[in-house]
Amino acid sequence: MILTRKHVSRRSLLRGMGAALALPMLDAMVPALSAAAAVTRKATPNRMVFCYVPNGIDMRNWRPEAVGRDYVLPKILQPLAPIQDNLLVFSGLKDHNGEALGDGPGDHARAAASFLTGVHPRKTSGSDISVGISVDQVAAQKMASQTRLASLELGIEDGHLAGNCDSGYACAYVNSISWRSPTVPNPPEVNPRSVFELLFGSGEDAGDPAARARNNKIDQSILDLVSDDTRTLARDLGPTDRRKLDEYLSAVREVERQVQMAEKQAAENTLAVPTMEKPDGIPLEYGEHAQLMFNLLTLALQTDTTRVSTFMLAREGSNRGYREIGVPEGHHGLSHHRNDPVLMDKVAAINRYHMEQFASFVTKLKNTPDGDGTLLDHTMIVYGSGISDGNKHNHDDLPVLLAGGGRNFKTGRHVKLNESIPVANLYLSMLDAMNVPTQSLGDSQGRLNYLTEIS
Amino acid sequence: MLRNILPAIALLSLAQTALAQTPFDQNVGAFVQKNCAMCHNEQLKTAGLALTKYRDTAAMIHDRDIWEKVVTRVRAGEMPPKGLPKPSAEQIAATTNWIEAQFDHYDATAKPDPGHLTAHRLNRTEYNNTIHDLLGVHFEPAADFPADDSGFGFDNIGDALSVSPTLMEKYLAAAKKIATEAIPIALVPPKPTQFKFAPEHGVREDRPTLEHTFLLPAEGDYDIKAGANGKRDPFTLTLFLDGKEVKSQNITVVPDKPRTIELRLHLAYGPHTLRSVLTPHDPSDDEYEAINRARIADAEGMAKQILRHPEDEKQIRLQHVGEPTYADSIELRGPFNALTPPLPPTYAKVFICGHPLGQHNAQCMRTDLAHFARLAYRRPVTNVELAKMDRLMLSVEKSGLTQEQAMRVGVEAILVSPNFIYRIEHDKRDPSAVHEVDDFELASRLSYFLWSSMPDETLMTLASDHQLSKPDVLNAQVKRMLEDPKSVALVDNFAGQWLELRNLDSVHPDPDQFPQFTKSLRQAMYTETHMFVTAMIQEDHSILDFLDGKYTYLNEKLADFYGIPGVKGPEFRRVSLDGTQRSGVLTQASVLTVTSYPTRTSPVLRGKWILENVLNTPPPPPPPGVGSIDEKGGALRGTMRQQMEKHRANPICAGCHTKMDPLGFALENYDAIGRWRTQDANQNIDSSGVLPNGQKFQGSAEMKAILASRKDAFAECLTEKLMIYALGRGLEGFDRTATKKIVARLKQNDYRFSALISGIVDSVPFQMGRGDAAPYLAKLGAPAK
Repeated sequence: MILTRKHVSRRSLLRGMGAALALPMLDAMVPALSAAAAVTRKATPNRMVFCYVPNGIDMRNWRPEAVGRDYVLPKILQPLAPIQDNLLVFSGLKDHNGEALGDGPGDHARAAASFLTGVHPRKTSGSDISVGISVDQVAAQKMASQTRLASLELGIEDGHLAGNCDSGYACAYVNSISWRSPTVPNPPEVNPRSVFELLFGSGEDAGDPAARARNNKIDQSILDLVSDDTRTLARDLGPTDRRKLDEYLSAVREVERQVQMAEKQAAENTLAVPTMEKPDGIPLEYGEHAQLMFNLLTLALQTDTTRVSTFMLAREGSNRGYREIGVPEGHHGLSHHRNDPVLMDKVAAINRYHMEQFASFVTKLKNTPDGDGTLLDHTMIVYGSGISDGNKHNHDDLPVLLAGGGRNFKTGRHVKLNESIPVANLYLSMLDAMNVPTQSLGDSQGRLNYLTEIS
Repeated sequence: MLRNILPAIALLSLAQTALAQTPFDQNVGAFVQKNCAMCHNEQLKTAGLALTKYRDTAAMIHDRDIWEKVVTRVRAGEMPPKGLPKPSAEQIAATTNWIEAQFDHYDATAKPDPGHLTAHRLNRTEYNNTIHDLLGVHFEPAADFPADDSGFGFDNIGDALSVSPTLMEKYLAAAKKIATEAIPIALVPPKPTQFKFAPEHGVREDRPTLEHTFLLPAEGDYDIKAGANGKRDPFTLTLFLDGKEVKSQNITVVPDKPRTIELRLHLAYGPHTLRSVLTPHDPSDDEYEAINRARIADAEGMAKQILRHPEDEKQIRLQHVGEPTYADSIELRGPFNALTPPLPPTYAKVFICGHPLGQHNAQCMRTDLAHFARLAYRRPVTNVELAKMDRLMLSVEKSGLTQEQAMRVGVEAILVSPNFIYRIEHDKRDPSAVHEVDDFELASRLSYFLWSSMPDETLMTLASDHQLSKPDVLNAQVKRMLEDPKSVALVDNFAGQWLELRNLDSVHPDPDQFPQFTKSLRQAMYTETHMFVTAMIQEDHSILDFLDGKYTYLNEKLADFYGIPGVKGPEFRRVSLDGTQRSGVLTQASVLTVTSYPTRTSPVLRGKWILENVLNTPPPPPPPGVGSIDEKGGALRGTMRQQMEKHRANPICAGCHTKMDPLGFALENYDAIGRWRTQDANQNIDSSGVLPNGQKFQGSAEMKAILASRKDAFAECLTEKLMIYALGRGLEGFDRTATKKIVARLKQNDYRFSALISGIVDSVPFQMGRGDAAPYLAKLGAPAK
């Protein structure tokens, strides 16, 4: 490889080839002889993704029998066969704060709110929502200085329905699993076109770097003015109002940071470039919608636009039907199966359908080169639910698996824990791998020790 | 268990008599001891209620909502429950009247507390409406925003609305788009583009016409194309432009015949309505042959497929049935040979100075921006704020932008300012300081209540002149605002959420069981309820019509669906329901559908809906441990009612379900999409029921009569819901005074809807404000449990 002062920008490469190709991180693309380059070339960063499915899982068809390396994939996990070596299936993780703990019903709201936070959400249907910061946001805060988007929240179902959400819990709790702070949720984006524009801009000043530079400057001036306005306004207000405006201010600051980073990347010619067409909108078919979102996620990870993401494959408590697989009845209704095997089988069919979408995503990651390995090696992906059996609404023996992260963990096993361990322990270990060591998260009790051992 | 309690109670009553007897003890304490303390004491805390711990009137008033429920239940005979000795009617009257007298006294003498409205960001609907009223921009900028979180059943609750960085980005992007569309920087003939209207077509739907208004960017030549799709039968496709026919042509949807009509017209700048209409006609010989050929080819193809996959025969036949011919799209391409367009109307809204493009001066740029800011911030702008904006504009102009480009930046900055995004009321910092909101704040409260949008110029002028809060001015404005078409927002947003009408868009009744649930039927159901509520508001009906009004709004399709004869044509009109089982909103298909599951009805959902939205007695949450119903396994058989009975046999569940289920059972004659039926699972439907207080009814009509007799409960329910919506916050104990006043006003005015609206507008919580809540709540301490 010849080191010259000139380096090849991804964009010119794309123009040359003209076609939509996945672009591996070619050595020639790295700015030659810069210190940053040395770091980038040595340490391909880690990514973390959390995929959530609602209403629990049919555990008869999820829980593998054998423990350790040679276990047979049960029906729901079968689509993961191509990547079985990159899997860690856990039995025995719990989400203690999904339990009622004296608050009565509302397991769906609690499950979603506590899954990534380990905190028991405050039971309120309106005003004073409060849970905790979620693991993805803990990482995102540190990533903020390195990627343009600190994190990416994706979803399939929009949250805007009328009525109450779950037994006295505010809708915010079932609509999001990512929480920026104890009181501010990060609602998922469900429209693929919007996700595309988030990642690559709306393309108006795409061809004109001078215009874009000027627009960035203007944006920054506007945001400056807005921050100033907000601070002035907040001075005269009481504590509740001030808190609302603080939210606003921190959102403004985050956008300012993104604008500044975009400017920097534009100057260094390292802006992310899309390798797919802009989607028209939300596809009608579930499978198509899910695949499109997974493709966008892959692109976001590949282009290093973000390293942290959450994806809700449906809202917690979702009652949509899945006619395309012959199960038109509402998912939530079915999950209250009263131990009727016919209904349990239907739940299993839905679970498997979700898993198929996930499986093609992780298989694609495995086939995507990234730095000195594959994208799957460098990405830790959790797939699971805050509810175990949808009928019993229990929050122990959770269905949780970890895919990828191969260079950090010893994958390819079914790990059966001797006692119930908080799922937040897993998250702490993952944060370690992201280089964001954290003392505790929610109800964590240390790291999960079983990730790097064979036994 | 009883043995353990009796000695404790004996001791308690001994202790009671030993103390001096206050009026509270005499009227309430003694009653509680005799009739409630067996279960609702501090050890057992049945249903979380420990009535024995209240020792004086102040404590009772502090937990007013609990005690008001006690009064309701005892009066209704629901408590003490069956099987336990009941107090006499005189004792009940004496105690409950005394309790109410205390509340009345408190209402009459205590200082009013209007509550505090937290900084309240505009929700999606409000954002769209506000932008439209501010600039007349023709797209929905907030369509892309993440969903608003709702609270207390509504999505306009200040405390529940938050701002994430994603939303902030969207605000910025939307502000840019809005500014760009509203302010052209040069007037050039636009390049030709495509404008296509091709809405989704429901499976096997009839759609003989299609109509759309296109906004053309400039005068010029446009290629128009209107098409049809589906299979079968020859039609004539006729195209109308702004009501006049411009072309007609025979079309047949077969492989080698045209299925679109095309023409090129010269059209002016601005809005134009295009309508395509399909009318069937007898086929010519030529067409007949072509259609036959196509049908034969199709049948051959189908036969071949069935031969190859005999097991899928049913599916294949279904696929080949095909669609009836329907109008599928209208498309324009252009403008070709375009003329320079005029300035859009939005330009004049921003540049009130009236100068043409590029001919402004520093002075008018400043006044124009100040004018815009005043409207956007919904109040006069301070000099400090103006100075900051001026500085921004100057710095932008220095970087070489034109005046229009600079104004765009100014507009963008205003549209992402918290002063625009949030409705903030400048309360004094002292939490106990109660004051009237200023006229501008009142104007915003009014306009967002009745229009879900910003105050208009009339309101703003009245506010500047300090006239708005004057009672006769205020009343006149309320009247004007209700008559303004913008008040449709009340129907869309309040009724849309209270009646859960918005959910109609996202329910998916199983198409196999309910093939009649087509897109046009769904739309018709929505329209029926929408028109019903609109009439309620515009014609000032009694709110009791919601329960048993014997009229509704139907078109032929919906009337057929209901089995009501004599309604012809696609237009909606008022229809009497005399002689039918239906009345009010409870038996409208929209409500019946949103309270069902995709494959079946749910008496529990329907019962719960009635308890929450009509009787104002939402069922208490299930006790812990519930959820594992019938663990012994085995499927439940029989009608829905029979299955539910088994649930209610469990005493843990029965407590709530004796309240919910009977109401739902009464509606079992209406299936999951609101059709009348007499059988379910091949058995006759039994729609009788017994309420917890012993009242019996047979069928939905009798059940509704019972609901209608509880006028005050419903009045209170609707009042509370509308208050939550109007204020944008949940209700607290101190709002009871206002609620009771409004219900009294309703009664005095025959329960007319206008009395409800004016009652709310004239109330203390609406006209007054208080400093920030947090310290106040701290003073109150945790609520008694």
